Amino acid sequence: MSKISPVTGHYVDVDVDGLLYKIFYLENGQGQPLVCQHTAGCHNHQWRGLLDDDEITKDYRVIAYDLPRHGKSDPPENTKWWTEEYQLTADHYANFIVALVDALELENPIFMGSSFGGNIALQLALRHPDRFAGVIPVEGADHSPGFYLDWWQHPHANAAQVCASGVWDLMAPQSPEADRWKTWFYYSQGSEAFKGDLYFYSVDHDLRDELADIDGRRCPVVMLTGDYDYLTTPADSARTAGQIAGGEFIEMKGIGHFPMSENHAVFRTYLLQALALLQKASRSAAV
Amino acid sequence: MTATTATDGSTVTAAEWADAFARASDEDPEIQAHGKYFTCSYLLDMERRTFVVQVGRGKVLDVTVDPGPLQVPYQFALRASADTWRNFGVPVPAPMYHGIWSASFQRDLRLEGDILVLMQNLRCFTRQFELLRTVGVPV
Repeated sequence: MSKISPVTGHYVDVDVDGLLYKIFYLENGQGQPLVCQHTAGCHNHQWRGLLDDDEITKDYRVIAYDLPRHGKSDPPENTKWWTEEYQLTADHYANFIVALVDALELENPIFMGSSFGGNIALQLALRHPDRFAGVIPVEGADHSPGFYLDWWQHPHANAAQVCASGVWDLMAPQSPEADRWKTWFYYSQGSEAFKGDLYFYSVDHDLRDELADIDGRRCPVVMLTGDYDYLTTPADSARTAGQIAGGEFIEMKGIGHFPMSENHAVFRTYLLQALALLQKASRSAAV
Repeated sequence: MTATTATDGSTVTAAEWADAFARASDEDPEIQAHGKYFTCSYLLDMERRTFVVQVGRGKVLDVTVDPGPLQVPYQFALRASADTWRNFGVPVPAPMYHGIWSASFQRDLRLEGDILVLMQNLRCFTRQFELLRTVGVPV
């Protein structure tokens, strides 16, 4: 008897900032959309555990897309992108996500992203609080300098291995070896986008003076960060959440910077707490 | 020779540690599967002791214990306090002691010298460094 997963894949056209993209996404489940962003230089297989998690997909329509230039989402269809250096900006990244949820006609979506996906979640709460039912920034913070490095694309080194082994220490040693190696494998595939993604993560993203403008009562913000994350530490996320009105933060123990990919079994226990907090905050906002 | 305590509680000398580290690397399936071009030399500065490790085509060619001035050249160096090295050398390191990136971003590890050589050998070096979790450290 063959086993066919209920997870399905689709492509959708997204037209944003004059660029046309054909975006690939995986989805499973029904209910309120839970839109998931992978980490920099990676792709949507990081969410494989969540996409297959019955307890969550019975209540949520989990949608994990590939950002342009990642996985099965190609660079723009209508530009000579190979003649330009890729540097992702906060403006384009946020505009893209809104265009995507519009293209999919999603109502009341929750946005969740990790690392540079966690940082854009904060940007979405600031810029588009009425388009999202809430955000779950994972391994996110107001500011995350230090990772926009030339090593990710240095022609004298093996970029695939530098990216993959360069992020190895972002994972906790307790996470299952096979899941850490899958994450390593994904990172060996994304070196051409990784550095440009990190332009957003470490350079363009800086909300240190804007956290007070995020209203977590209008768009609930529940942050999750693992204690083995050396780039965005629990202290960084706690500091960030503490400056957001109504902001919540949960520290995750024994897990690192790619929690959904390195150890879904541990991550899901914290995600369920985050979803419960977010729903409670949404109900409070509605009355 | 100064003796120290390994992770299993036994007492080893620096020379015995050097032999154990070399053996663990040469017998490691991952390094041997991917180490055809793993070739570099590096200094481990553990505050109280130093070692120069020379690797050629995936095999440890030599581990020099406490090399004298100008005695053994190396391409890059890892320098940290003895306390940090002791935190590396346990089966499950605490947060921020779980690798060279975390310890250089958040603790006192310094990566010096020709970092390009480190990057060129990063895959196998990362695994080799993690052997400290089973071999322990001699400080």
